[in-house]
Amino acid sequence: MAAAGRAEGTGSRVGDFFETRLRIGPLLSALVHVRIPIEARPYYLGGITLFLFGVQVVTGTLLALYYQPTPDAAYDSVKYITSVVEFGWLIRSVHHWGANLMIICVVLHLLRVFAHGAYKFPREFIWIAGAGLLLATIGFGFTGYLLPWDQRAFWATTVGTEIAGSVPVIGDGLLGLLRGGADVTAATLSRFFGMHVLVLPLGLGALLLAHLVIVHQLGLANPKRPEPRPGTFGASATAAPEKLRPFWPDYVLDEVIAWAVMLAILVILASVFPAGLEDKADPLITPQHVKPEWYFLSVYQLLKLVPRIVGIMAPIVAIGALVFLPFLDRNPAVTPRKRPIAILVALAAIAVMVGLTVWGQYS
Amino acid sequence: MAPGEDDPGFPGPDSVRPAIGEDTVSRRRFIKWVLGFSVTSIAAMVITPIVSFLVPAKQETTGAGARVLAGTTTDIPSGTGKVVAMGSSPVIVINTDSTPSGVKAYSAVCTHLGCIVGYDSTTRVIVCPCHDGHFNPANGAVISGPPPAPLKTIDVAVEKDQIFLVRG
Amino acid sequence: MNDRMPLLARARGLTRQARLGFLMAILCASGLAIAQGSAAKGAAQGAAPSPGLVAESSPGPSAPAADASPSVLPSSAPSPDESETAAPTNACAACHKAISAPQRAIAEQWEASIHGKNGVGCADCHGGDPTSDEIGVAMDPAKGFIGKPTRSQTVALCGTCHSDVNRMRQYQIPTDQLVKYQASVHGQRLINSKDVRVAICIDCHGSHDVKKASDPTAAVYPLNVPKLCASCHADAAKMKPYGIPTNQYALYAASVHGKALLATQDLRAPTCASCHGSHDAKPPKSTEVVQVCGKCHTATQALYEQSKHARLDVGPKCWTCHGNHDVAQPDESRFFHPEDVIFDCATCHNPADQTLILNADRFAKDADRRCDTCHHSASQIYAQAQGIHDALDQANQAFLGAQARIAEAAGAGMIVSDADVELSEARTNLIQARAAVHTTKLTVVAKLAAAAESKAAAARKFADARLNESTFRREAMVVVVAIIFVNVVLLYLMRRRIERGRGTEP
Repeated sequence: MAAAGRAEGTGSRVGDFFETRLRIGPLLSALVHVRIPIEARPYYLGGITLFLFGVQVVTGTLLALYYQPTPDAAYDSVKYITSVVEFGWLIRSVHHWGANLMIICVVLHLLRVFAHGAYKFPREFIWIAGAGLLLATIGFGFTGYLLPWDQRAFWATTVGTEIAGSVPVIGDGLLGLLRGGADVTAATLSRFFGMHVLVLPLGLGALLLAHLVIVHQLGLANPKRPEPRPGTFGASATAAPEKLRPFWPDYVLDEVIAWAVMLAILVILASVFPAGLEDKADPLITPQHVKPEWYFLSVYQLLKLVPRIVGIMAPIVAIGALVFLPFLDRNPAVTPRKRPIAILVALAAIAVMVGLTVWGQYS
Repeated sequence: MAPGEDDPGFPGPDSVRPAIGEDTVSRRRFIKWVLGFSVTSIAAMVITPIVSFLVPAKQETTGAGARVLAGTTTDIPSGTGKVVAMGSSPVIVINTDSTPSGVKAYSAVCTHLGCIVGYDSTTRVIVCPCHDGHFNPANGAVISGPPPAPLKTIDVAVEKDQIFLVRG
Repeated sequence: MNDRMPLLARARGLTRQARLGFLMAILCASGLAIAQGSAAKGAAQGAAPSPGLVAESSPGPSAPAADASPSVLPSSAPSPDESETAAPTNACAACHKAISAPQRAIAEQWEASIHGKNGVGCADCHGGDPTSDEIGVAMDPAKGFIGKPTRSQTVALCGTCHSDVNRMRQYQIPTDQLVKYQASVHGQRLINSKDVRVAICIDCHGSHDVKKASDPTAAVYPLNVPKLCASCHADAAKMKPYGIPTNQYALYAASVHGKALLATQDLRAPTCASCHGSHDAKPPKSTEVVQVCGKCHTATQALYEQSKHARLDVGPKCWTCHGNHDVAQPDESRFFHPEDVIFDCATCHNPADQTLILNADRFAKDADRRCDTCHHSASQIYAQAQGIHDALDQANQAFLGAQARIAEAAGAGMIVSDADVELSEARTNLIQARAAVHTTKLTVVAKLAAAAESKAAAARKFADARLNESTFRREAMVVVVAIIFVNVVLLYLMRRRIERGRGTEP
């Protein structure tokens, strides 16, 4: 913000000092211009997710300074972080809650974009990058869950990876690839740690860059009317010029307010419900109620209810449909009223997911 | 923070809008003040925990492989045992004979009801005082009594006369 | 009284049936396979009542000669040594399988039994010649055939082999069962009162289907023992002649011991036989009960031996306070009656000369198994018992308080491992203090209880620190959230001003 402020170039001495040496002013002024139709209602969900990702990067980096990714040491180091290191409980709890909130916000963001038809022409690639970001976020959650190496982590990962094991044909191979062997062991922990702190951050970072660059280039979608396709006669000619809202400082300021609210929520959650630690993982003692993390519960419950092949193919098909939605849904209309089928299918899918999750939680 | 409160150009929602120039000036002052407060307060709240987090804790680290000095062979001569603390868990160290391999260590928590076991130098067995559970000091196995499982073995390293416990 | 039919007569009757069966079998051998099936069936229907099941029920007034002599000694039994020289082919099973379904079942039970697998054949118990398939030879009384042994014969019969050290050495099993049995209540009645209703070897081990005691399907497998004993001892009709209670199984099943064995299937828990003996079954005496309980409760026995109770000839024993079949989990309520006690001097004193006696060292009602049943509330010993009770109660309250506090801290998401260690030390001392009640010494109990209390206090201190920390975090959180809220409000106002400012600029 401060940097952007300088870029406005009021001719202050400090501003001039950097501007004459970096010539960054034009770039910054270009960056703070994003087309935002006055009708757009993004609810700041994308920005909040971005903020949470930042929080995760900072807290995650801090945790990695103390964390030791071996089965013998992992549990003790997490316990040490939580009980001995100053503010360790806070950093860990914020990381814990940030992860959960991030998944929630990504999903809400996705639903908002869907409801506004913002994935349609010309924003197909924003959507695909976004779907990739959702998968990467879930991957973060899945790999991060194991790291404390307590009973809950160990057994949730055991049953979670078993879902992968039931994929037809390649299931066993996939399971071995995930676990680094037949069982959840030291090899799994190394893999998950490497994925969590190297592979996924790089992958998510790249996708995020693509996502933001395209958003920056195309601007936000107007939820009231579809974007005119080039060559479509009359669309642009008849429509009145679009009313816009300034990105800087109005939109950014709104985002910052939303971030501050989110920070407050994080602090409250971390203080009132700090991340706990169960007994150290013991492969010989299966706890009574083994469940994967809540965002896998629907798939887990589905697998219990239907034949394996259906239970595993349904989520795969659903993910495929989600990623390629812009090319499957050819209806140009954006208002929900004009695309009842898409809205009904989505509502049904949400109902099924929520239903299965609740069922899985209480079974 | 006082200047903001004194700011005469701070209008309530219903107040009459001042002249353009005056308003622009007071707006700029207000914005500066707000930005200053926000940046300072939020930065303080974020940086304090981070810096404190980075400062190494006074308490010893607890990583695996870390060695904890349990005592010397003078404290625990041959044929005796002693319960020591390793971090927050009690460990019984037994010097069964004078050789380095004769020093054994086990979790001192009885597998029956969680009492703290002790070493009986006369009979040379580990005894739980609660229900007379007996464990073999050579391997932690149950000799008699109600304990359902052997005591957990802790790795020991003896260097000269110093006995170290190795965190597992 | 048909079931008391002399054995040899019954054997002869059987012979006739079997002969018929054979004749038909030979006829069928010429090719009428189906006829053979029906013939065997006919033979089965015509067979005498299964000899294995009839004789046991009740002793007749005209007991046969064999029962009349106390034949618990091996002399009158057939010598199994003779059959050992016999060819391994056991012709008995071949024919008896063909006679009838019950006969076939007997043969198959024997084949599956530990005896069948180790070459102990029919003739070893029933006599006769197992190598012959000619019924007149195989079941010839001249060849030692006795048919079904009588109940008193049976004990001697089993004892012949099972008391033979040389024969049993290879199986690594004891050889004292017969001697022990002769000393048991069961054996004594069999020998002295000629009472054949008492339990004999086969009642517990089975006759043809003898199994190893370690076989979980055996009636004598520890988990099955209480039911086995109860099959007679819980039967009011069977126990009526002896005038003994029949509620032991019910009491045992509800006791700590019974629950551990029957519900948790903990094989270390005592069965009936653990206290009464098996072959030598007999209720422990008052003078023996301390040793009996002490077999498992070693530490408690050692503490009890230090007590005043142990030094009195007529002092209370384990069961005076804990009962026998109905041992329950003890706690501090075991000290005193909840309400005032009506003392009966004769419970502890001889009315004639006021000397100390313990008329009843066992109380049927659990409510009477209390210190103040004997120790009058005005007595000095009562005051001491009260001191012990109070010390324990105080330590227990401190322990429970600390435990609840730690749970509270853990529930607030705090890590409480240091408090847990202190608590486990407190638990160690508390358990020791409770066990030390058996010494009846106030100083010993008070010392351990005080140690438990101080450890519990230390644990509580840790838990309190964690809870304070948790409270501090929440308070700090409120401050931080308030600052954030102020920021949000200010930023919101700033945003409004910017919008308004823009509104003024065309």
